[in-house]
Amino acid sequence: MIDMFSLALSHSLLLLAFWRLRSRDDLDEEAEPGMAHRSSGFARQNDGQ
Amino acid sequence: MRDIFFLVFLLASLFLAIKRPFLFILVYCYVDIVAPQRLSFFLLNQVPLSLIMFGLAVIGWLVGDNKKGMRGDHLQVVIGLLLLYCGISTIYADFPVEAQDKWSWVWKAMVWSMFLPLVLRTRLRLEAMALTMVLSASALAITGGLKTATGGSGYGSLQLLLDDNSGLFEGSIFSTVAISIIPLILWLARHGTIFNARTDNLHHKLVWGFAICLVFACLLIPVGTQARTGLVCAALLFIFGLRDSKYKMRYLAGVVALGIIALPLVPSAFAARMSTITSHQSDESASTRVAVWKWTWDYALDHPLGGGFDVYRQNELQVTKVIVRDSGGQITREEVPYTDKARAFHNSYFEMLGEQGFPGLAMWLYLHLVCFIRMESLRRRYKAVTDPDQEWIRPMATAMQGGHLVYLMGAMFVGIAFQPFIWMIIALQIGLHTYVKRREQEARWRPLAVQLGNAPAGPEGVGVVPLEPVASRPSSASGWKPQAR
Repeated sequence: MIDMFSLALSHSLLLLAFWRLRSRDDLDEEAEPGMAHRSSGFARQNDGQ
Repeated sequence: MRDIFFLVFLLASLFLAIKRPFLFILVYCYVDIVAPQRLSFFLLNQVPLSLIMFGLAVIGWLVGDNKKGMRGDHLQVVIGLLLLYCGISTIYADFPVEAQDKWSWVWKAMVWSMFLPLVLRTRLRLEAMALTMVLSASALAITGGLKTATGGSGYGSLQLLLDDNSGLFEGSIFSTVAISIIPLILWLARHGTIFNARTDNLHHKLVWGFAICLVFACLLIPVGTQARTGLVCAALLFIFGLRDSKYKMRYLAGVVALGIIALPLVPSAFAARMSTITSHQSDESASTRVAVWKWTWDYALDHPLGGGFDVYRQNELQVTKVIVRDSGGQITREEVPYTDKARAFHNSYFEMLGEQGFPGLAMWLYLHLVCFIRMESLRRRYKAVTDPDQEWIRPMATAMQGGHLVYLMGAMFVGIAFQPFIWMIIALQIGLHTYVKRREQEARWRPLAVQLGNAPAGPEGVGVVPLEPVASRPSSASGWKPQAR
C-alpha cells in the first residue's frame, strides 16, 4: 500500500513536471543577457537582427 | 499491477519527449535512479531498459537538440581520463569477473556524467534535472519515511520498494543520498519555476507542503534503516545550515528542540545502534572496518596503481573482538580473535585507493575538490545580486555544495565512489559552472554592441543594456554583469 502510494505520488509529479516542461520555450532557448527588451536603430543592426 | 504502472509512465514520458528531446535525458536519469526494471516483476525486467533509454537520450540529443550554447569543461576530460583508467584496471584486475560486473554499470554512470553538462545549457534545464533527481529519489524516500513513521524499521529490514539490499536500495547508501538531497528540495521549493510556489497561495501551500513532508521523510530514512552513516550526515547538514542562517541562535535552538521532541519517538533499537558510534571496540563492524582500511593502505603501497574493482575480495583480516560480560555483578572482558574475509571497504576513499590506486584516487579527489571550490566561488561572487535572473544561482550552488559535502561525509562509511547519483550531482555542478561562465561572457559582448549603435529608448524605456539590476523591473530585463573573480 505504502509502496504504491509512494510510486503513484512521485511518478505523477514527474509526469506533471514533464508535461509543464513541454510547453516552456525557455527549456531549449534563453534570451541572451540584455536581449529580452529590444532596442531600436543602429543597435538593432548591430544585434544582427 | 506495478509493471503496468511503470510501462504506462514510461510510454507517457517518451511520448512527451518526442516534442522535447531534452526530456529523453530526464527519463534516463529517472531510470538510472529508480531502476523500474528491477522493480518490475515480469514486463520490464526482461528488457535492457537502461540501455534503451541511454540510446534514446543520446540519439534524441544528436538529432533533435540545438547545440548552441554548448560548452566543454576540463572536468569532463578528467572524468574521461578516470574512465579510461578504470577500464584498463578492469582488464588487469585481480578479480576479472567481478571487476567486469562492476564495470558494466560504472562506465555508464561516468559517461553520462561527462555527457550531461553538454546539454545543461539553460537555467530551466538545470532546474529540471535537479527536480527529476529529487522526485525520482522521492519514490524511495516517501516509502521509507512512511514505513518508518508507521513502525516498520530496522537495519537491513526496511524494504525500500525492493527486497534487494544493493545499490540505491541499500540502507546506508540511501540514507546518505536522502540527506544529501534535502538542500536541493528546499532550493526547488524556494526558487523553482516548474512547480512555482510564488504563483499564488494554493501553489505556495502545495509546493511547500510537499517539500517539508519530503524533507521529514528523508530525515526519517536514517532512523528507519538504522544506518549510523545517515545520522552523521544529518548532523553535518545541520551544521552546514548554520553557516548561512541569519538567526544562528534561533536555528540552534530549533535543532535542539527538534532533537528533544524526537527522542521519545525514536525506536530503542535505533538508539542502541546509534550509541555504538562512539564505542567501537565492542562493535564488530567498526573494528573490522579499520582493519580493512589498514589492509587497503598496505595493498596500495604494494600495488600503487590499484588492483581493479572488487579487489577487497582477497583480504583476510585478523580482528579482535572485545566482549564485555556482566555475570552476577562481576564484569569480565574477553578478547576473542577471529578472521574476517572479503570484507568490503565501507569507505569510498579506500575503495578508490585499493581499486584504482593513487592515480585513480588523485583524479577522483581532484574532481570533488574542484566542484567544491567552484560552488564556493559562485556563492561568493553572487552573494549580493538581487536580479531575479541571477538570484537563484548562489542558493543553487549552496544547495549542491551542501549535498556534495554530505555525500563526501557518507563516503567515509560506505563504498559509494561510483554511485551514479553523485555522478549526476557532479554533472549538475559542472553544468551550473559552465552556464554561469557562458552567460557572463555573453554579457561582456552585449553592452558593447548596443552602445556602438547609440540606440534611443526601446520599448521598456532603456537604450543601453543596464549592467546593474534595476529594481521593480520584470525578470525579462536581465542585467548580467561579469562577476569579479
